[in-house]
Amino acid sequence: MAEDKSTSIGELETRLAEMENNWKRALADYRNFQKRSEEEKGFFIDFANESLIRQLLPVLDNLETLSNHIDDAGLQMIIKNFAQILAEEGLVEISAQDKEFDASTMEAIEMVEGKENTVIEVLNKGYLLKNKLLRPARVRVGSGDKKEER
Amino acid sequence: MSKIIGIDLGTTNSCMAVMEGGQPKVIPNIEGGNTTPSIIVPDQNIVGVAAKRQQVVNPKNTVFSIKRLMGRKFNEPEVQELKKNYPYAIVEGQNGLACVEVEGKIYTPQEISAKILAKLKSDAEKYLGQTITEAVITVPAYFNDSQRTATKEAGQIAGFEVKRIINEPTAAALAYGLDKKTNEKIVVYDLGGGTFDVSVLEIGDGVFEVKATNGDTHLGGDDFDSKIIAWLIAEFKSETGIDLTGDRQAMQRLKDAGEKAKIELSSTTETEISIPFITADQTGPKHLNKKLSRAKLEQLVEDLLQRTIIPIENALKDAGLSKSDINEVVMVGGMTRMPKVNELVKAFFGKEPHKGINPDEVVAVGASIQGGVLGGDVKDILLLDVTPLTLGLETLGGIMTPLIKRNTTIPTAASQVFSTAADNQTSVEINVLQGEREMAADNKSLGRFILDGIPPAPRGMPQVEVTFDIDANGILHVTAKDKASNKEQKITIQGGTGLNKDEIEKMVHEAEQHSSEDKKRKELAETKNAADTLTYTAEKALKDAGDKVSAELKTEVEGKIKEIRDVLQTAGVEELKQKTQALSDVLSKIGQQMYGQGQGGTAQPEQPNQGEPNGPDNNTSNDGPVEGEVVE
Repeated sequence: MAEDKSTSIGELETRLAEMENNWKRALADYRNFQKRSEEEKGFFIDFANESLIRQLLPVLDNLETLSNHIDDAGLQMIIKNFAQILAEEGLVEISAQDKEFDASTMEAIEMVEGKENTVIEVLNKGYLLKNKLLRPARVRVGSGDKKEER
Repeated sequence: MSKIIGIDLGTTNSCMAVMEGGQPKVIPNIEGGNTTPSIIVPDQNIVGVAAKRQQVVNPKNTVFSIKRLMGRKFNEPEVQELKKNYPYAIVEGQNGLACVEVEGKIYTPQEISAKILAKLKSDAEKYLGQTITEAVITVPAYFNDSQRTATKEAGQIAGFEVKRIINEPTAAALAYGLDKKTNEKIVVYDLGGGTFDVSVLEIGDGVFEVKATNGDTHLGGDDFDSKIIAWLIAEFKSETGIDLTGDRQAMQRLKDAGEKAKIELSSTTETEISIPFITADQTGPKHLNKKLSRAKLEQLVEDLLQRTIIPIENALKDAGLSKSDINEVVMVGGMTRMPKVNELVKAFFGKEPHKGINPDEVVAVGASIQGGVLGGDVKDILLLDVTPLTLGLETLGGIMTPLIKRNTTIPTAASQVFSTAADNQTSVEINVLQGEREMAADNKSLGRFILDGIPPAPRGMPQVEVTFDIDANGILHVTAKDKASNKEQKITIQGGTGLNKDEIEKMVHEAEQHSSEDKKRKELAETKNAADTLTYTAEKALKDAGDKVSAELKTEVEGKIKEIRDVLQTAGVEELKQKTQALSDVLSKIGQQMYGQGQGGTAQPEQPNQGEPNGPDNNTSNDGPVEGEVVE
């Protein structure tokens, strides 16, 4: 009997230790989750507008393309106002023209004749939102050849 | 203790997940994406989306689809085929193995894959805030020993201790908890970005055995996009005569729009593809504007869909099984979001496939579960249950007032303070309800009890705190306590409800169906409550004011009170609201007259609610006590 009892106590102790370990682990997971959730909250506040702005950018692109076809002062004002509102939300255009190609902020669409590894033409403007890449600039990059490579 | 992460090292995209609090969680990369393109510039150590963006500039040094070379011999026909088609150099390395050469340096596929894994490791460490050293990595079921060894080596080069290499279909089955089944046959249908795999598994005693695999190594989401793009090009050409194929910028915009349309058509039946200023000719700018219906898309990709059927048939044949032998079907890969894919598979097997977990992430999720099992995270962790249905109590007007919402993880407790609905009410009845409907009568009553001995007081004054507490065993304890007398009553409801899964689903479904009529009934009940409360408040205000109000005003207020009471049980929401507002308006005059007398007629009408703290606006807010059910 005594032996049985001690075995069962041993078993219980193991079980207890296991349970305590599990409990601590769950608690730790929870604490870590809480911490990250706090961080993410800040992030969400900062980037709550991100998806809306991302969806508005093509409209801005199209207005800008339109202004290349139609010379109208009113249209210019609309574009200016629109861009200004987005700028107030922390949107910054990526300056790409004539810069060295940088994959962290630009996406190469095509290689063309021109200075090697340099942005020859910006096809679609890129933007940063609060210093985070929102949309890469789509660019044509110089191949270094006089003539087009292909 | 460090975590074991699960990694889906994919041909086109990779994904990782970890067990956290007993639940798998996908870890986003540092760019914020849940999946990382499996694209690498080895000499510059650029991995993922940035590597993808510079692919055009640097095609010779940008390595993609490295998984196709893992553990392969250089002279295998498949490798020779890739060598012909890929822009980067595939060369023969040591022992005749296929390697890649970038800027004069030879890399083994292990080393290239290791760069992806190393990025995932570093991103995971940043996200989790701890060092990660152990991983479970998935491979296709058809991978042979040397391919599996190569994958394991890639993990080791990246600094992981690879705890296990598991099959992708097994991971997907794990994610859906199919390891709990016994003696079942499972088909995993995996239609990803660039490859299609079908696997037949058998589960017995918690161990998965691969019975057969088949597939198409060059069929995936990209082919679907191409079909849409080709259609747009053809349509545009027939309308304008302009061929867009040579215009890289236009092609890029078509690709974006086509992919967007494909995704949209998984949830809507028609979408509009509009690309203004796509090109121009001598007549001016041209715009592309096309409607694409789901039916049209399905027609466009019909042949691609049919191409997935033959591999399924072959796999079944190899496994020596027929369609009817299959117990479970699991869907993996982004393309399985397309409703037609689901329909096709469902029609083929005659059963609903498992879906619900993000098909791009399900393999990584399964790998993390395996990691959790190996790390002891899963084995003994308390599986926390949730309450399947909302728990609440009946309040004035027959309204169901929820205390614990459905899907709340238990153990949990919630309490709220209620009050009486009539003057000198000395008892309240607590009717414990379960269900999703707005009105008490439509929900299931789990039990009721009476708390009596409440000291007599005007209605709304007593504070009765009701607490719902569900313990870890799912037993519900409901306590009602009068804060003034400290008297309390409780009830224990054993084993929840005895409802099975179907009944629960039925109740949730019914609530969704009746949601709008239920809301109307609830609104009516609440409006009645508000009207009733205001008549009571008005009477009290008249009594308190005594002769400070004029006889005319008194008659007017009494008239309005009677108007409400006459129709309280019969009127609709609008009429009641109107009459309540009318009473509220005249009521404010009481305050005006009282203050008018007190302050020589200088009172401002800005504080019309003086003397009626329980006005209709306050009635439904959570700040004050809520009326409890009246007991006669």
